[in-house]
Amino acid sequence: MCEHSFVNSPRLDAADSSRRGPTRILHADLDAFFASVEQRDDPSLRGRPIAVGGGVVLAASYEARAFGVRGAMGGTEARRRCPDLRFVRPRMSAYSEASAAVFEIFRETSPVVEGISIDEAFLDVSGLRRLAGEPADIATRLRARVRAEVGLPISVGIASTKALAKVASAVGKPDGLCEVPIGGELDFLHPLPIERLWGVGPANSAKLRARGIRTVGELAAVPRTAVASIVGRGSAAHLCALAGNEDPRRVRTRARRRSMGAQRALGRAPRTAEEHDAVLVALAERVTGRMRSADRVGRCITLRVRFADFTAVTRSVTLPEATAHTATILAGVRRAYRHASPLIEERGCTLLGISIGHLDDADAVQLALPFDVYAGDTLDHAVDAVRDKFGAAAVRRAAGLRAGRGVEMPMLPD
Amino acid sequence: MRFRCERDVLVDGLSTAGRAVSSRGGAQPVLAGIRMILQGDRLELTGSDLELTISVELTVAGDTDGEIVIPSRLALDIVKALEPGAVTIDTEGEEARITGGRSQFSLHLIPAEEYPPLVAPTGESLTIGAAEFAEGLRQVVPAASTDDSRPILTGVLLAREGTGLRLVSTDSYRLAVRDLPGTSVLAEGQKVLVPSRALTEVARALQSASELTLLLGERDASFLIDGVRLSTRLIEGEFPNYRGLIPQSQPNRLTVGRTALIDALRRVKLMAREATPVRLTMSADGLELVAITQDVGQAHEQLDAQYEGTDLTVAFNPDYLMNGLDVTPGDEVSIETVDTLKPALLRSLETTDFLYLLMPVRVS
Repeated sequence: MCEHSFVNSPRLDAADSSRRGPTRILHADLDAFFASVEQRDDPSLRGRPIAVGGGVVLAASYEARAFGVRGAMGGTEARRRCPDLRFVRPRMSAYSEASAAVFEIFRETSPVVEGISIDEAFLDVSGLRRLAGEPADIATRLRARVRAEVGLPISVGIASTKALAKVASAVGKPDGLCEVPIGGELDFLHPLPIERLWGVGPANSAKLRARGIRTVGELAAVPRTAVASIVGRGSAAHLCALAGNEDPRRVRTRARRRSMGAQRALGRAPRTAEEHDAVLVALAERVTGRMRSADRVGRCITLRVRFADFTAVTRSVTLPEATAHTATILAGVRRAYRHASPLIEERGCTLLGISIGHLDDADAVQLALPFDVYAGDTLDHAVDAVRDKFGAAAVRRAAGLRAGRGVEMPMLPD
Repeated sequence: MRFRCERDVLVDGLSTAGRAVSSRGGAQPVLAGIRMILQGDRLELTGSDLELTISVELTVAGDTDGEIVIPSRLALDIVKALEPGAVTIDTEGEEARITGGRSQFSLHLIPAEEYPPLVAPTGESLTIGAAEFAEGLRQVVPAASTDDSRPILTGVLLAREGTGLRLVSTDSYRLAVRDLPGTSVLAEGQKVLVPSRALTEVARALQSASELTLLLGERDASFLIDGVRLSTRLIEGEFPNYRGLIPQSQPNRLTVGRTALIDALRRVKLMAREATPVRLTMSADGLELVAITQDVGQAHEQLDAQYEGTDLTVAFNPDYLMNGLDVTPGDEVSIETVDTLKPALLRSLETTDFLYLLMPVRVS
C-alpha cells in the first residue's frame, strides 16, 4: 500500500500555475484484471488462488501471486508453486465487456483519456479542479464507481507525468490510491527499486544491479554516459530521464494507433508447421479486416513468437508498399515465420502474434496492375462485405479453419 | 596448388565470382567460399549460391595444378589490401598462403570435396550484340519485384516477339517492356523467366563487352561474356498475362521534355516523404507537380507541356515515375492516361521499342 503521506493533496501555489493549474495525470490500472472478473462472476473463486488460462497462466489473482504464480508461467510450474491453484478457462468476451464499461467510466471522469491496454489508461485531470475537485477526490470517486458499477478493484496513481503516475499506481496496488505530491516527485521516486521504472525489465535490472545500482536515486546519481555503457545509449536516455522524472509526453485522447496486431496462445503441446500456418492465416485475416474497417494500411509486419521457455523473439518484414490486402500481408507474415522457423523447431512455440506497424491512413494507396481481379483487393472487399452482414465467422480462409478458436487476446478498439 | 597473378586481375576475378556467393551463408558453409581450379596457366574462380553461379577464367603464371575452396569475403579483402604487384597463392595442407609484397597471410581452407557439383550449361549457344541487350536490361530489370514471396515477379520474361526478343518485367505496380527486334535468339513461342538478380550481374559484366553468348537449357540459362560465365536457374511458372494491359491508345495525352520532368520531379520529390505520392495535374496550361506531406510541408512546380484531353490530376509514387523516366529513351516523352485509377502509359516520342506502364496511387 501507499504511504499515507503521499496521499495529501498538494497546496496550489497560485503564483506559478497557469489558470489550468499544474499537470495532474491519473494512471488507472485494473487489478489482476482477468482473474478479478472471474472472481466477480463466480463467488466460489473469491479469496482463493486462481489462474486464468489453460496450459499457460494468462493472469493470476492476488491470492495466487502470493504463492509466486505469475503471468506467462507454465501450468506445471504454477501448480508446483501453489498446489491449491484453480485454473479457470478464459472468457475473453466477459473481459472485453468489463473493459468497455470501465473505459466508459474513465471517459465520464475526464475528457482526456488515453487507453494503453485493455485494463489501463491515463486520464488528464489538470483542468478539472473547479468542476470535479482535487485529483485525489476525482480518483477516489473513480475507484468507487468502478467497484460499484463494474464490480472490479482498480488502482490509481496520480502524478505530474505519465511515467510517474504509472509508477504510483503500481505502488498503490492492489486496490489502492497513491498520489505523488507536486514538488515531492523525486523524494517519492528515488527510494524505489529500479525495477519500478518503465523500461527496466529483467535484463536491464540485472545489468544495473551488477553495477550496484539498486534504487532510482542511485541511478539518478550516475552520469548518463556511464549508464549508457551499462544498458546502451537508447535505454540510458530513457531511464535517466525517468529517474529525473522528465517525461514530457502528454495524455493524448484517442491517439492514432501506430500498429495493429493479434496474437494467439497455443498451449504447450507441440504443433506442426501446418498448424502454425493455420493460426497465422487466421491472425492475418483478423488484423487486415480490422485495418480495412479502420481505413488504415501498413507496411511493417512483425511476427512475435514465444517459446516453450517463455522467451520470445520477433521477426520483421517490410513490404514495399503499405497495404491492408490480406494475401499480401499473409505472404509477409509467412516470410517472417520462415525466418523464425529454425528457432521454433528447436525451442517449441507457445504463442504466435502478428502486428502491422507504421500504419498510415489509407488515403494514399498504390494501386496494382489488374493482372487478375481476384488477386487485387476485390476479394478482400467482397469478404468484408459478407462479414459486415453475417458476422466475422461467416467467411474464412480454408487454411485458417484448422486454427480453431483458441485463446484470443482482446484488444483496445481501433 | 601454386600460382602467381597480378593483384588487380585477381581482385577483379574474386569480386566478380564473389557476387554469386550468398552473404547469408545459406545451408551449406562451403558455398561461402570461392572454388579455385588451376590447370596449367588457366585459373577458374567459381562462386555460387546454387541459384546463380558465376565463373571467371583468368590467365595466371601457374606452377602446380590443384583445386581449393577459399573463404570468399576474406580472400577478397586480403588480396585487395595487398601492395600492388604480383600476388602468390600456394597451398599447404588445409591452408592457403597468400603472399604479396612483404605481407603474408595464411588462411584456413574449406574442404574442396564438399563443393556441390554445378550443372554444366546446356542448350544451343547463340551470340547476340552486347550493347542493345545491356540497354534492354537497364530498362526492364529495375521494374522487377524484389519481393521473394512472389517469385514469378522477381524474374524478367525473355520471349520471342515477332522475329525478335522481348524483355518484360513487373512488380505488379509497374510494367516495363522492351523489344529488341534485331535479336533473334528464341524459337517461335519460346519464353523463359530469368531471375532479375542474375540479369543485374549480366548487365554489370556487359559493361565492357561487345557481345555475349547465351545458352538456354530446360531449367537453366547461361551467359558467356569475356571469360565470365553466369549460370542461373530459370524461374518456373507462368508470367502474368501482361498483353491485355497494354492499351493501344488512351484518351488523355501529355507530351513533356524528359529531362525537364526528371529535374522537376527530383525537386518536388523532396516533399513527398513517407510514401506520399506526387500529384500530376494536367491541363491545357501544361503540367503541375505537387507534393504535400502532412506536418512537413509542400512543393509545387509548373512545367511547359502539351496536353490533349480532359483536365486530370493523377498521383504516382515518385520513385516509380522517376525509374520510368530514367530508362525511357529520347528527349521527349508522352504520358497517356485514362483517369485517376487506371494505368498510365509512358513512352518515348522517338521509339516504340520501349514502354512503361505505371499504376497510380489512389488518394482520397
